[in-house]
Amino acid sequence: MAALGARGSAALPARLRALWALPARRALAADAGEGKAAQPKPAFTDEAVQTLLYKMTGLDLHKVFRPVKKGLKPPHYKLMTEAQLEEATRKAIEEAKTKLIMPPVLNEREPIDDVLAEDKVLEGTETAKYVFTDLSYSIPHRERFIVVREPNGVLRKATWEERDRMIQIFFPKEGRRVIPPTLFKDENLGTVFQQDRHEDVLNMCIAQFEPDSPDYIRVHHRAYEDIEKHAKYDLLRSTRHFGGMVWYLLSRKKTDGLLIDMINRDLLEDATSLITLYHMLHPECQSAKEAKEGKLQGIDLIKVFVKTESQREGYIQLALQAYEEAMATSSAS
Amino acid sequence: GSRLLRGSRGGHVVIRFALGGCTNRPFFRIVAANSRRARDGKYLEQLGCLDPLPNAHGEKVAGLNLERLRYWLGCGAQLSRPAEKLLGLAGFLPLHPMTVTGAERLRRRRQREQQPEAAPADGSAEP
Repeated sequence: MAALGARGSAALPARLRALWALPARRALAADAGEGKAAQPKPAFTDEAVQTLLYKMTGLDLHKVFRPVKKGLKPPHYKLMTEAQLEEATRKAIEEAKTKLIMPPVLNEREPIDDVLAEDKVLEGTETAKYVFTDLSYSIPHRERFIVVREPNGVLRKATWEERDRMIQIFFPKEGRRVIPPTLFKDENLGTVFQQDRHEDVLNMCIAQFEPDSPDYIRVHHRAYEDIEKHAKYDLLRSTRHFGGMVWYLLSRKKTDGLLIDMINRDLLEDATSLITLYHMLHPECQSAKEAKEGKLQGIDLIKVFVKTESQREGYIQLALQAYEEAMATSSAS
Repeated sequence: GSRLLRGSRGGHVVIRFALGGCTNRPFFRIVAANSRRARDGKYLEQLGCLDPLPNAHGEKVAGLNLERLRYWLGCGAQLSRPAEKLLGLAGFLPLHPMTVTGAERLRRRRQREQQPEAAPADGSAEP
C-alpha cells in the first residue's frame, strides 16, 4: 500500500500550510531527509497533484451553493446589468474555490507513551486519576501540556483521545462534541451510506476529528470503499472530498469504476488527468513506461492504460466505443 | 512580604482555591486573591479550576494557566497548602512532603487495621 505521507509537505504552498495548521517545518525535517534519500514519491500535497485533483473535482456552482438549512428569510432579488451579473458570477466562483479546498490526507498519528515521573509513594491514596491541562492562551493545541497522574503514582502524558477531549472541554470548537457521536461507529455508518449521505458524514467527520486521528481515517476509508462498491462517484463530485477519494483509489489501484464513470459522462480530460496521476504515483508500471516513450495524449493514453493495468478491460472498452460512436454521430450531424 | 505587590495596606497575594458549585457538588476555582478577602470573594485573576468529582471516564479534570501562574509566583504570590499539593501532583512543583507523609500514614493505618483482623481470625480459627 503506498504511503499517504505528509513527506512532500516541504513543497506545500504557504496558504495551504496556514489553513491546515500543520506543525512547523523543523519538526518535519527528519521526514523530509528520509523522503529525499528514498525515491521522491509524489505526496498528496504536491502542487502538480493538487492541480490535477482540483481539475477532476469539477466546479458545479449549483451543487456547491446548494441551499443549506438556515433560518427562514424572504428571498432577495437584485436587478443587474450583464456586466454586474458577470462580476457576481466571478465572485461566486472565487467563493466556490475556497469552499473546495481539500482537507489534508495524513498518516495515522503515533500513540503517545511518555512517562514523566514515577512516585511509588502515592500508590493507594487516590481512587481516580487527575488530568491536568495547561490553559495558557497563546500555545498551539498540538504543543499544549496535558498530563495524567494515575492512582498508582505515575505521571504520564495524556493519550491522543484524552488530549482531544480536554482541549474540546476548555477550548470548545464549533461543530465538535466532547464525546464523538455514535454515528461514527461502524454499525451506524452503513445506514447513513444507504441514504446516500456520504458528503454530510464526511463534513461532520472533518468537524469532529483531527485529520491524523485513526477515527477520521477509518470513517473516510469506509466512505470511499462504499462509494467505490456502489459506483456512486457523482455524490462527491464538486465537493472538497473528491480529491481525497481519488487519492485513496489511486494508491490502492482501484481506479476502474471511476474511469468508467468518467467516460460515461463524457469527461475525457478528467480521465486523462486520472491516468496521468496514476503514472505519477506508480512510475514503475508498464503503461507509465509506454506513455513516456510514446508521449501519448488523450484517448490513446486511456487505451494503453486499459490494455495493461485495468481489471475490468471489457467494460472500459465498451464505454470507450460508446463514447467514440457518440462523438462520431455528433460531429457528423 | 515582597516589595513588588504593594496594593492597599496589609495583606498579600495568595493563590488558593475558591469553592463554588452547589449542595453535594463542589467545584474549585484556582484564584490569585488578596489574602484578607473572603474565600469566594473578589479576586485578582482566575488561574484555573479543579473538579473534585470524577467524570464519566473516571478522571478528575483540572486546568491550570501555567503562564499566568508563573507571572504571579514571579511577582511574589504565596500558595495555600492545597494549591501546593495540587501543583505537586501536576508536576509543576516537586511533590509536597505532606502528600508523601499522608500516603505513608494511610498505608500504616491500613496495615494496622489488617493485622488486628488477622490476629483475632487466627486466634478464633486455631482451636
